[in-house]
Amino acid sequence: MASRRLNTELRVVGAEFVKTMRIWFSYPIMIAFWAIFPLLWVLPYVFQGKALVGSGSSEAFRQLTGSGNYLAFVLIGAMISTFVFSALWGVGNSLREETYWGTMEYIIASPTHPLVILIGKTLAEWTWSSVMVLFQALIIALFFGVHFTLAKILPVLLLVVLLMIGFYGFAIAFAGFTLLIKEVHGWVHTLEWVFFLFSPIRYPVEVNPITALVSNLIPLTWALVAIRGIMLLNKTEVNLYQTVVILAGMDVILLVAGYFLFVYLEKKTRRDGTVGMH
Amino acid sequence: MISQGVVPALYCENVVKLFRRGRGLKKKVIRALDNASLTLAPGELFGLLGPNGAGKTTLVRCIATLLIPDAGTIRIFGSDAFKDSLFCRQRIGLLTSGERTLYWKLSARDNLRFFAALYGLTGKKREQRIDYLLELLGLEEVANERLERYSSGMKQKVSLARAMLHDPDILLLDEPTLGLDPQFGRFIRQFIKEELNRRQKKTILLTTHYMDEADELCQRIAFINKGRIIDIKSPAQYKREIPHKEVLQVRCLGQPDTSRLQNLAGIERVQTDFNDGITTLRIVAPRAEPVLSEVIETVRAQARILGIDVKEPTLEDVFIYVTGTSLTADTGQGEE
Repeated sequence: MASRRLNTELRVVGAEFVKTMRIWFSYPIMIAFWAIFPLLWVLPYVFQGKALVGSGSSEAFRQLTGSGNYLAFVLIGAMISTFVFSALWGVGNSLREETYWGTMEYIIASPTHPLVILIGKTLAEWTWSSVMVLFQALIIALFFGVHFTLAKILPVLLLVVLLMIGFYGFAIAFAGFTLLIKEVHGWVHTLEWVFFLFSPIRYPVEVNPITALVSNLIPLTWALVAIRGIMLLNKTEVNLYQTVVILAGMDVILLVAGYFLFVYLEKKTRRDGTVGMH
Repeated sequence: MISQGVVPALYCENVVKLFRRGRGLKKKVIRALDNASLTLAPGELFGLLGPNGAGKTTLVRCIATLLIPDAGTIRIFGSDAFKDSLFCRQRIGLLTSGERTLYWKLSARDNLRFFAALYGLTGKKREQRIDYLLELLGLEEVANERLERYSSGMKQKVSLARAMLHDPDILLLDEPTLGLDPQFGRFIRQFIKEELNRRQKKTILLTTHYMDEADELCQRIAFINKGRIIDIKSPAQYKREIPHKEVLQVRCLGQPDTSRLQNLAGIERVQTDFNDGITTLRIVAPRAEPVLSEVIETVRAQARILGIDVKEPTLEDVFIYVTGTSLTADTGQGEE
């Protein structure tokens, strides 16, 4: 019985994945946008870096991070943050889309838990952002002197997976929150800037003692420090074990909290009578 | 209406739903459902008739588990709708009014495939069921076209197919003909009565504020107003509620002043409906004949009479008689 149930839920995840992909591909202009996005994404960082330090490398920067390659530092941050922000926009916003389409009530009225739908959306989002990041990685490798070897890629992949598991837990709670607040864009933008400020996406957080302290609470910080260590400083084994343990611990906390918050918020919207409202 | 020993298909007892709106001093508590109770026998086509804001949709949403009531019990074939929600949701098919309840960027077939998965239908069984429903509703030729190219009526047919996908025992049809053109409205009504109820023996809870629809389709009807179920009877029983009354229906060109008619002796009530330049007056009187000449004279002085009929009271007349509210009124919901 339990295995049949699991089988049914897996098929729903598959159906949601197919549905999401079909809807995305029904907008040809979006495909065009995403095809040129990896190139558009990289240029502002390149120009900003050159304007600041005159070239791609800086001695002051080396003293803070161990690597003088500012551009590679920022591009890795931007690449990993693509995953994180696509989870926020894609998964966090996805149930709001369902309410706009008028289909949310039909999902909730079915025997399938909306969390299963969110897993399907997560899978679609993960696939999509993986393709984007792959292109970004290709650009970094070809033009910015970052070498990808299997010895580097495997631990980086492990870190990315661990980072995203926790982050999807956060995004699921956020999706529940959007059912209640009926507004997404302002919140996602705010969260984006919180992450930009308190994690080393664009700059080393050590430049300010407060950002350095707060950044320890964000899994993205731990993942980025370790990934840059591996990619830029060839520290394959350094701190990897410690980072994996910290990220796994954060994953458990974020997934459990995300699940219970979502269940609570979904029930609250049914109690308040605001399921179909937008 | 339910034989002893038969488990009701749907059982609602003293369902209360409060909505809390606003904050601080502006906080209001709205009693959308006020101890609403009803019982549906298996295979019954039951109507919930009331004006906008009466609580019809709120009750349907509570039954579909989209809303959690503040008090009361809802049972589907004996199972508690909230404690055993998976079982109950599997036995309910839902259709709400409005076009925006489907994915417009997907075809009818893809929409149905997705919703079928939510109910555990997959593979060949799913495809067969979808083919059957598309054919039954006359959609097979447009099944692979995106819904954004469909008319409102065609979208409503897809919604109906979705409600029937998992072959539920109970169908909750909330204003299924609202906003449809007469041709599609007729089709949907006929489909509900002949196919779903007579042939497939589905238990149907139909909400509407169209009295003709309720009168034509339903075996029993609950009048609902301000969240309260006022009465439950068959259409014929309701009409016997206002005995010794007749309705004089006058159709005329122009818009006569009805206040003069209201003041005529022997007339209890005048209801006006103006559409496409033609006014239809429904004049309720204990007997039509004694007031007929005075009515003709009064109306003819202001408008051109097209026709006069003496009719039996309709459900709308009964509804007004029982509740004092017209079905076309927007009653809002009762504040605490």
